[in-house]
Amino acid sequence: MVHVVMATGFLLILIGFYGALTHRNLLRMIVAFTVADTGVNVVIVSVGHMRGRSAPILDRAVAAADAVQRIIDPVPQALVLTAIVIGVGVTALMLAYAWRIYRQHRTLDIARLTALKG
Amino acid sequence: MVINALHILATGLGAAFLTGLLDEKRNGLAFMITLGALAFMSAVSAGWLVLFAATGAHPMDIQTAGTPPPFAIALRMGLAEAALLTLINLAGLFAAMHMGETLLARGRRAMAVLLVMVMALCGLVLTRDLFNLFVFFELIVIATGGLVLLSDDERAVSAGFKYLIVSQFISVLLLVGIVFGYHATGTLNIDGMAEQGSGAFALAFFLILIAVAAELKPFPANGWALDIYESAHPGFAALFSAAAASAALFAFDKVLAIGGAEWLPVATGIGIVSFVAGNLLALPQTNDRRLLGYSSIAQSGLILVAIGQQDILGEHYLFIAGGLLLSHAVAKAGLYWLSGFVAGRELTDWAALRQRPLLVLAFVTGIAMLSGLPPFPGFYAKWELVHLLANEGRLALLGWILFGALVEAGYLFRWFGYAIKRESAHTIDCPPDRVIPVIAALLAGWALGFAWGELSGRSNLLLVLPLLFALAFLLLEWAPAWLKNTLAIGGLSLYFLQTWQDYDPLRLIFLVIFTLGGAIIFLASFHAHGRRIGFYPSAMTMFAGMVLLLQATDSFGFFAAWELLTIGSYFLILRGKESEPHALSYIVFSLGGAFLILAGFAIAAASVVTLAPSGAVSPAPTFEIASLATLAQPVAPWVFLLLAIGFMTKTAAIGLHIWLPGAHAEAETDVSPMVSGVLLKAGLYGLFVLLMSMGRQSLYGVDLVNLMLWIGAITALLGNLMAIFQEDAKRLLAYSSIGQMGYALFGLALMNHLGWLMALMFVINHYVYKSMLFLSVGGVAKRTGTRAMYQMGGLITLMPLSFIATLVGIIAMSGVPPLSGFGGRWIFYNAIMDADTRLPMVLIFLSGPIAFLYLFRLIHTIFLGQLKDEHRRLKEAPLSIVLPQMIYVAILIGVAIFPGLILRRVDAYISQFLPDGALNWEGLTITSQYGWWNPVAIMIVVACIFLLIFGWLLFVNRKAQKVKQFNIVFSAERPYRPETTHFAWNFFAPYKKAMGFLVQPFVTRFWGAITDLLHTAGDLGRRLYNGNGQIYAFHFLIFVVVVFVSQLGM
Repeated sequence: MVHVVMATGFLLILIGFYGALTHRNLLRMIVAFTVADTGVNVVIVSVGHMRGRSAPILDRAVAAADAVQRIIDPVPQALVLTAIVIGVGVTALMLAYAWRIYRQHRTLDIARLTALKG
Repeated sequence: MVINALHILATGLGAAFLTGLLDEKRNGLAFMITLGALAFMSAVSAGWLVLFAATGAHPMDIQTAGTPPPFAIALRMGLAEAALLTLINLAGLFAAMHMGETLLARGRRAMAVLLVMVMALCGLVLTRDLFNLFVFFELIVIATGGLVLLSDDERAVSAGFKYLIVSQFISVLLLVGIVFGYHATGTLNIDGMAEQGSGAFALAFFLILIAVAAELKPFPANGWALDIYESAHPGFAALFSAAAASAALFAFDKVLAIGGAEWLPVATGIGIVSFVAGNLLALPQTNDRRLLGYSSIAQSGLILVAIGQQDILGEHYLFIAGGLLLSHAVAKAGLYWLSGFVAGRELTDWAALRQRPLLVLAFVTGIAMLSGLPPFPGFYAKWELVHLLANEGRLALLGWILFGALVEAGYLFRWFGYAIKRESAHTIDCPPDRVIPVIAALLAGWALGFAWGELSGRSNLLLVLPLLFALAFLLLEWAPAWLKNTLAIGGLSLYFLQTWQDYDPLRLIFLVIFTLGGAIIFLASFHAHGRRIGFYPSAMTMFAGMVLLLQATDSFGFFAAWELLTIGSYFLILRGKESEPHALSYIVFSLGGAFLILAGFAIAAASVVTLAPSGAVSPAPTFEIASLATLAQPVAPWVFLLLAIGFMTKTAAIGLHIWLPGAHAEAETDVSPMVSGVLLKAGLYGLFVLLMSMGRQSLYGVDLVNLMLWIGAITALLGNLMAIFQEDAKRLLAYSSIGQMGYALFGLALMNHLGWLMALMFVINHYVYKSMLFLSVGGVAKRTGTRAMYQMGGLITLMPLSFIATLVGIIAMSGVPPLSGFGGRWIFYNAIMDADTRLPMVLIFLSGPIAFLYLFRLIHTIFLGQLKDEHRRLKEAPLSIVLPQMIYVAILIGVAIFPGLILRRVDAYISQFLPDGALNWEGLTITSQYGWWNPVAIMIVVACIFLLIFGWLLFVNRKAQKVKQFNIVFSAERPYRPETTHFAWNFFAPYKKAMGFLVQPFVTRFWGAITDLLHTAGDLGRRLYNGNGQIYAFHFLIFVVVVFVSQLGM
């Protein structure tokens, strides 16, 4: 099961990379990156997964005393949360850029933004 | 005493939030908060730096959340961290100041982003947690994305987007790598991971490493970075290059520690490719900021090489990597801030800087720091790095580093030449908030130079008296030229009086020429009016380099002095009106030669150490020059070859001579004799030292000294031959110097007693007559406004003193009796009789009469013949220019009558090395095994003959009719090109027909082809960067794959 999830994650990353490299439209590229980001998050979660354990939340279901035996590794979960936040930030920034580029150049084609080169 | 380092991060973050709480309109207050926060962060970092530097304390770990890792993030503060934080925060502070206007216009949000950027860079340096590292990287990405938009340049938007695309790819790789690294080790702490080693998760570690490496903008995965460098606000570009690149390098070093030694070659490989490619690609650039960007990439590559070589750098690692890194950061920040003053984006637009000498000083300081010239940290670091590489036998890497450094110096000094020589229509205004950052970078550069000098454990160049004296002239730039000139003459004379007793006779001769000889030429400098800004610091740096060269006993002192005299003379030569391209070719050839000398010393030092009887473990990266003599077989001839080529570059031996004619001819009137009469002797001194210590060497059966003999003979012949076809009087003298140095080289390479004596005779004579001729020809050119000889004529009555000087000069130089040149010739012919090589001798004999052909033209075409109409009212050259010439006349006659005064002491000294064939000095007569010579008797005989013939000529011509100007007319036609009707134009046309094939500019074409090749390579390389962000992403992926595959192969 874990391997399927992990494979799915990597597949998403590859799909995202493929999309970002083949689509010339800025918005499509941004979408492709979010797909890749999601793939990374899936991979991270799958890495932290341990068979037959519960979520790392200490409440009535899991007492603090035997938490070490009963919950999965909380670190990847925390990493995913942070990564999601950062991903949203970067995506927002890219969208803002895309909007600005469109306002300036009236185009969203990455191949036409080549004023700087060489 | 020091404040917890967490406050640095907290202050940055807190101030960023605080500005967000302010009223939209209170931008002034927000700006004050920003500056205050950055100043506080700088102060805290500096406090730590002082603590570590003063006490040498161990790095301290700072735990967050009250828990040790791996359960919480740990930070670490040590010497390197403190230094980097100080750099980053100060760069942030001054960048904010530089961008003040923009920040105030854009408001508090922009300031908040800047604060976050600086905070994140600090975090990147401090953190020991891998995921935290990722977070700070992402913060830097977002902040960079924001700050790029501060630019007025519309193209910055697309540059920022390209950056975001690539950083998305980077962050995916980084995250995947981190999580699998965590999976394998159970910790995110870098030190924890390093303990376990990366063996278990090599692929994941590769992903982490390559992602962090990509933040260093390695070639070719760096198109996006170049676009940002080019289009961003210069204040931010400075931060991006100085602080962001430095922090990323430090992060790379941290991450590399996880992988351990087996990954070091990866760093070296990426580094050296980026260094060489970055510099090559910078060659064809015309945009200043893009060029600086390429240079940043190259410099990061060089530091990466140092990181990759840390296994052999040992305790010097921080000194070397830190020196390179701080040098680059300070210089690059300063240069980007400077670019904010320049209105145009072409390199030539920097000519506007000339309106403010202080900014020119900042510019040249930046360039010298980037090129690794003394007295800046890069110089010391390069010295150590090259020596350690040589010690391990990593010579290919060493060669590539020196090659890249030479290319870099080439384009940087070309740029400096533009700034000094081109014209710019723009004006420069200096608001204080933009000047302060530049001055801060300037001061920081010199302070770092001082610090690295202290740390080097060698002589601190900034405490060496002659150099300090030269630099003191920088502070005297406000003073009038005559005052500075008097000080310069006084300084040189005083130095001579104070030190002359310390030298052996051979060095004493050079000392006299370098100090008193220089002082006499400075007499001519009294003709200049005004303040003559830039002249005295340059000239005195050159003289300082020369006297330090004589003082030097170890290789480090020798090389440092060599570089100083090279830089000083470059600035001097650049002052000539048309000398921009010639000064460039001078500095490139000279630095190329210097790098060969450096490599030679490094290889020699490595082998000296292994021979050391004490069994010293750590190699001493310096050695006594005298111990060159102890070098053993496989190494010795190579060292000899490298050093000999290096020195022969300075003496302009044939093949390496193309820089000389332009450099000497286009220089100012009083500079030509300095660089010709005085400076060329430094090269001869080097050759003396080399031959005295190493003697004969052979490589693959070729006797290298014999090779030098041939080179000397051919140089003498071709130099003289080229001289006879010149129309320009100063060029003629310059080519003649090539020939004369050929003679001296030949004499040295004879390796017999008289040969050396003759070479020394040439050292003295060439100084005297070449200085004198350059001054008299310079004086004539000053009066007539031209250097073309056919445009002169008949000046004998108007400029009699210049005529006398020229006449005496050419008599002395052509070696006819009775002047000192004859003595030189006499010794020379005796020396040849001693030697057993015949064919080069024929060449040397042949060049004697050829020399007479061109010397004769100086008298014939300039002073005799018809006076030109426009020259009728000319006056004698200014007294200040004539006075030294008269001194030289006196010296020449004095040396001619009493050659023994100097030479017999040297003769005795040379006997230590080559005992056979010494001369016999009795009274006024000098005897060799082939004959005798009495200078006074010859003088009297020649004078009698001359007077007799002269009197007889006067007598028979007493009734001759004087030919006046209008006794000759053209046949009613006005010639299309007037010079073609002048008999002195193309004077030696028949000889040209016969021997012209010998003086075809083959060598010039050869070096031209090499330059073109490099430019073409650079131009092809830059086409990789076609501007498309997707292609840049491809570059990144290709980079990852190539590094992965080559790492598998290692």
